[in-house]
Amino acid sequence: MAPLAVKRRKLSHDDESDNSEGSFAEQHTNESGSSDESLAENGAADGEGSMDQAAEHSDADSSSDDGPVATEDKESNLSANKRTAAPKVADEAKLQKRRDPQLQDGVYTAETFKSNVFKLQVDELLEQVKPKYGKKEAPAENAMRTLKSLIERLPSRAPLSVNEAEESLKAIGVAIPFPSPRPPKDAKYKLQYERPSSINATGSYPLRTATRTDGELAIDLVVTMPKAIFQEKDYLNHRYFYKRAYYLACLAAGIKNSKEHDFRLSFDCLNGNQLQPIIVVRPSGDGRPADFSPSKCRIHILLALPEGTFSEIKLLPKANCVRPKESGGDGASKFLPPTPFYNSSVQSDATITAYLKLLHAASGKCDAFKDACTLGRIWLRQRGFGSRLRKGGFGNFEWAAIMALLLQPNPGAGTPPLSPGYSSYQLFKATLQFLARHDLSKKPFAFQARDATFPRAKACPMFFDGPRGLNLLFKMTSWSYVRLQLEAKVAVEALGNSTFDQFDATFILKTNLLRYCYDATLELPLSGFGFDPANEDYDASLDETCYRIYSTLVRALTDRVTVVTFSLPDSSDWSISSPRPFERQQKRILVNMATDPANANRTVDHGPAAENKQEAASFRKFWGDKAELRRFKDGSILESVVWTTKNTTAPVLEQIVLYILRRHIGTPVADKAKFMSDTFASLVPSGRIQGQSGVSGFTPVMNALAVVEKDIRNLEGLPLQIRHIRAADAQLRYSSVELPQSAPASVVLRFEGSARWPDDLCAIQRTKIAFLLKLTELLPAAQSGYVTRVGLENASQPSQNQAYIDITTPSAFTFRLRIHHDREATLLERQLKDKCLDAQSRESAAAGLALYKRDFFRIPSHTQTMQTLCTRYPALSPAIRLTKRWFASHLLSPHFAPELIELLVVRTFLQPHPWAVPSCATTGFLRTLAWISRWDWRHVPLIVDFSSAASSDPPESASTGPKGMKFQDVEQIQLRFEAWRRIDPAMNRVVLFAATSMDTDGNTWTDKGTPEKVVAARMTALATAATKAVRAADDRLLSSQDGEDFGDDSTFSPQSLFVSQAQDYDFVIQLSPKYATTERKNLQPRYKNVEIQKAIGDWQNSGTELARLFVEDLQNVYGDAILFFYDAESLDRIAGLFNPVVTGQRAWKVKAGWNSLPFKSRDEKRSEVIGEKEGRGMDIQVNKGAICNEMRRLGGDLISRIDVKR
Amino acid sequence: MASEKPSKAKKQKTAPTTVAEFTILPLTLPALPGLPDAYADAKHYLYVKQHEPKHSTPGHDRSLFIANVPIDASETGIRALFAEQLGGSRVERVEFDSAIPALTAHKRFQDASDAKAEGKEKRGKKRKRDADVVAEGVVEDEESALPRIWSSELRKGGSGAVVVFVDRKSMRGALKEVQRAVKEGREIVWKGGEGLGVERYKSHLTLRYPPPAVLQTSVNAYLTQFTALENKRNKIRKHARSEPDEEGFITVVRGGGRNVRLEDAEKKKAELEERRKKNGIKDDFYRFQNRERRKEEELRLRKGFERDRKRVLEMRERRGRVVPES
Repeated sequence: MAPLAVKRRKLSHDDESDNSEGSFAEQHTNESGSSDESLAENGAADGEGSMDQAAEHSDADSSSDDGPVATEDKESNLSANKRTAAPKVADEAKLQKRRDPQLQDGVYTAETFKSNVFKLQVDELLEQVKPKYGKKEAPAENAMRTLKSLIERLPSRAPLSVNEAEESLKAIGVAIPFPSPRPPKDAKYKLQYERPSSINATGSYPLRTATRTDGELAIDLVVTMPKAIFQEKDYLNHRYFYKRAYYLACLAAGIKNSKEHDFRLSFDCLNGNQLQPIIVVRPSGDGRPADFSPSKCRIHILLALPEGTFSEIKLLPKANCVRPKESGGDGASKFLPPTPFYNSSVQSDATITAYLKLLHAASGKCDAFKDACTLGRIWLRQRGFGSRLRKGGFGNFEWAAIMALLLQPNPGAGTPPLSPGYSSYQLFKATLQFLARHDLSKKPFAFQARDATFPRAKACPMFFDGPRGLNLLFKMTSWSYVRLQLEAKVAVEALGNSTFDQFDATFILKTNLLRYCYDATLELPLSGFGFDPANEDYDASLDETCYRIYSTLVRALTDRVTVVTFSLPDSSDWSISSPRPFERQQKRILVNMATDPANANRTVDHGPAAENKQEAASFRKFWGDKAELRRFKDGSILESVVWTTKNTTAPVLEQIVLYILRRHIGTPVADKAKFMSDTFASLVPSGRIQGQSGVSGFTPVMNALAVVEKDIRNLEGLPLQIRHIRAADAQLRYSSVELPQSAPASVVLRFEGSARWPDDLCAIQRTKIAFLLKLTELLPAAQSGYVTRVGLENASQPSQNQAYIDITTPSAFTFRLRIHHDREATLLERQLKDKCLDAQSRESAAAGLALYKRDFFRIPSHTQTMQTLCTRYPALSPAIRLTKRWFASHLLSPHFAPELIELLVVRTFLQPHPWAVPSCATTGFLRTLAWISRWDWRHVPLIVDFSSAASSDPPESASTGPKGMKFQDVEQIQLRFEAWRRIDPAMNRVVLFAATSMDTDGNTWTDKGTPEKVVAARMTALATAATKAVRAADDRLLSSQDGEDFGDDSTFSPQSLFVSQAQDYDFVIQLSPKYATTERKNLQPRYKNVEIQKAIGDWQNSGTELARLFVEDLQNVYGDAILFFYDAESLDRIAGLFNPVVTGQRAWKVKAGWNSLPFKSRDEKRSEVIGEKEGRGMDIQVNKGAICNEMRRLGGDLISRIDVKR
Repeated sequence: MASEKPSKAKKQKTAPTTVAEFTILPLTLPALPGLPDAYADAKHYLYVKQHEPKHSTPGHDRSLFIANVPIDASETGIRALFAEQLGGSRVERVEFDSAIPALTAHKRFQDASDAKAEGKEKRGKKRKRDADVVAEGVVEDEESALPRIWSSELRKGGSGAVVVFVDRKSMRGALKEVQRAVKEGREIVWKGGEGLGVERYKSHLTLRYPPPAVLQTSVNAYLTQFTALENKRNKIRKHARSEPDEEGFITVVRGGGRNVRLEDAEKKKAELEERRKKNGIKDDFYRFQNRERRKEEELRLRKGFERDRKRVLEMRERRGRVVPES
């Protein structure tokens, strides 16, 4: 035991902090049970308490702990550090507490934590993801001890040549994981194994920043190699890595041969860097004492290079450490290209311990450091970032190290971005801000290394840690850095939004889902490149090609795309007895692109002017035959590239990508490439964004409306002046599924105020009819080509709007115009308060008022807002229409106000976090569905902040400038929502609650059970199913990326989300095809002027209109006893569901409110209770047969048949 | 449905004939193509009894009450049913519970509607105009009513009707006949309404655009009647203005002073209030005001925190643990 103790001291330190954490946990649970003040104190108290106790415990441990872990050596660097640091921090915390007593109070956390709710959720989250360091982890810690003692006992091996070394290990079944290029056979140096100088746990596990979210925890065990086995020049030409590989293989062999355990061993590469192989130890799963499978973790054995083995200067990023092979004697004079990646790989091995110290020091100095690390980990993970090269090269370690460095002063750079007094949330946010603000690829960040110079190759980001001589971001590629920056920007923007909580967007949602995050995906099979995976240069040439594709695409696509990012198939670990496997060529590279909707579909790219010879030549060289010299309207003569949208279904983006691949990368690559973008757009007419606008299909109807308005305003002989004519229809806000053709679109006309109107609601309606009659007389007379008719509605409600006029224009569009008179509102409100009226009349006044507000205020202003938003966000209109089609194809549209569906989609655009604003129909639609599936409408209101759109135009100013909706407004809406739930807990009247910054009522579109609870639940179920299907398709795409073949199943059909299931309904009325519409098949937008009479006839005599009247009748006749479902657009069938709440079997009653079928009840007891008078022993149930017969009689020839469930 | 089928067959064997005071009259429905086989012999059930309203109405002693009338029942349909299949009793009229499109709903004054409850609710146009002054508009007659936009009425599912016979004897005879038919198990056939289906909807599409001339005449007639009635209403209002209520107050009603309007008064009041607030002592004048405000602010924050905490707790209960999506 004794000789081992020295080397165990660092582990012992870990155990010591175990105890302090234990106390942390205890305190935590205590507090959560106690009053609110103590809960709020968490931040300050935890730090203080745990630190104090940590100091005490370490003493106690040394006497009580009798396990293999002893703490004899108290001069250990780390624990000494900690000992001095701990009391100091505690003092600081106390000081702070005295200075600022408010900090203790929970109610003030809003400042340090965004909001109370945010803080409480963060607390909860941290508690959930942190490993408990308890029983569950104990076996793993045991295993680490076993490994440690085992490695310490391994005997040294004499130096061997490369060949001998390989032979000797092969004999015991271990293949040395040499990196490529392999060491030369004639190498003069020898490989050697000697006892390690130390063995430590490292990484997040001992730092207590680990998270248990993906099931398996990875614990790092670092073995520091003895200095003696290296020579001064070993850093050159991979020599260090060969020695390292041999050392690792010896460790693997040693562990493998040991009898006391049954670990499963394999090799992997540290962060996917083939230069740095590691050993992965997995539990045997056999239940023997050494088995640690209950801990659900694996142990990584890393190798560290003792500090100071090589000269740091030789390993700076600008140095060259891999000499070209051919360079003989004259090599010294030639310029040697820097090898930053190689150098950093060596340096990263040398600094493992240094970083452990750094992070420890940081977590000692700053209380919230660990929590902030954990938050960072979660944030990165949800975005798919990781330390692995192919996951972006930015992971937990990089996050923690950057945070630790940003806490320290950097001479010459002002105050450090982070302060030790920050809360975990502030640390997290400030780090994100740092990442978002600094473009480290253009302007390297040097920490305490002012005179360092850096190579400017490949635009790699640079965060150079001077004291440790390492570029922390050396594993990142240009694309992963761009993506990281963008994600950080989005996150900072989200957190800067004080109106909404954004907790879910920041930490809970998984964001790196291809179909939600990106607009276009390019699949490139590796086989297309024609590289030989067995070749020594394979990795290098693949990286090189990816970079070439990246830079070519970025140049070709210019501002059409905002992000181009590569998703490369990842490698997995391999058996220790075989050499590193070659990459399978079935694997695929995915190139994902996020587009800028305003530019993505531009057909002409302008290049440099013709006079500018040099640039023009470069442009021509880049574009080849595609480049042409063109003269533009403004007289300029420019090199340009023109893409066509005629005679092809391929979007411009696809044409460019494939062309440029063929030209610059190679024909086989382009041939095997598969491009996907906006796959759902083709499901609605004009669903793709054309040019710069997503609303081009609606231009004719909008123009027609402008003409009508002008013509009406110019009429002479109208008794009153016109104040305004406002659009009030989905067709006039770019939101109807079909492009407007002939169905009437509502508009509202308001005259200037006049005292000549009668002061009586009913008389007002008749006066309106008189005005309308006047209009029908004047308009066709003034302008030929108009056909006008006055129509009647609401016959039984004399105080509601009773008439409208249908104006069919020469361009064959029909507008349904109603007159808005503002006096109506006053009169209705007065009736509402008038105690002289009977209750029924007042109720009817209330209903009338709601309708009046909706039709004459809410809908027009909603229409206006949507018009603005749809022109601002090109993808909004197609996304709304796609979403409406989805609701319709699942027969849900009669239950949801079109405005409500629009709000659901608008929410996706105005509160896009954690993503950027959607830029095509598909992403807008899918994210809306995903949100619906998550929407817990029983407890959460839908709140859309229209005002956020107004200020978010230049994104920079938005973060500083005032934002429209305040947190208080949201709070107000929340209170109103809670009030509704209290009044109506069963949700009979208001189920969905949807408020906006303009309309805080929340029930404007959803009052009176539109939709009802069952229907809302069905919406959620359908959205969940659809979201699952999309996720599954994404997963399939990713696994196919790893070379797995799914055959035809792997192609995901967008249509599949739009197929409705009829078996859930009680009956389905099939309408006769003779009367069913054919509109849907005719997807071509019609621009031609057709005969007006035909246009009127079109929608009037189309079966849809008759069927619509039929379905209205059905709804009036059966009220809430039957719920009807249909697609209002096509109306080829009507599905029905007997409302189980209303029509359930019950005791006989004379006015059940539905067609009943009497029968003798078996339940005698109940009938006794009811008594004699009410039908004794008699039950009723809904008479389905008779009802079917009734419906059949009512529908007549409209119905072809009625199908009944089962 | 599968489980229902056998039980249904049983039901038909032991079909109940009476419930409470009602006789259950099964009607055979017309056989129509396109209906599911399971419902081929579905029956409609009418519940029939003598009409006994709480308040007596004209003709109630010669009326039958029918519950659960078919949705396409009309006066002619019911008349034919009794005339042709139930002993030939002569029906004077049929009053239905419900109609689609609904009857014109007028707003009424409280006492007026109480008084009117005695009189049977009937079509507005048949009522004498001076009997009730509606709160707004006029009760239209043939001239002033808007043209009808539906060719026929429908009934709500499961609604009732009162069938008034020409005399008591006919009513008794009809009821006896119904009871006999049920006892004998005689098949009574419901023929269904007329003018339904495509015809009904096509006619609506035409009817809802009445000729302008017709519309103009109706509007003119209405506005003439409206002016007349408005005078009458003004008289009533005037009456209310001059009469103190039990507490001695005189109700302020519209139309009092020519120029003074209720709204104007309210506006003025709000304005005054505003001015008073502006000129009053500022909130932060005294130290105690500041102190109190701070206290209030703190209390508000504390309450807010408590509420948030409760919300998060509820959230946890609902959703379970806060775990990042995988």
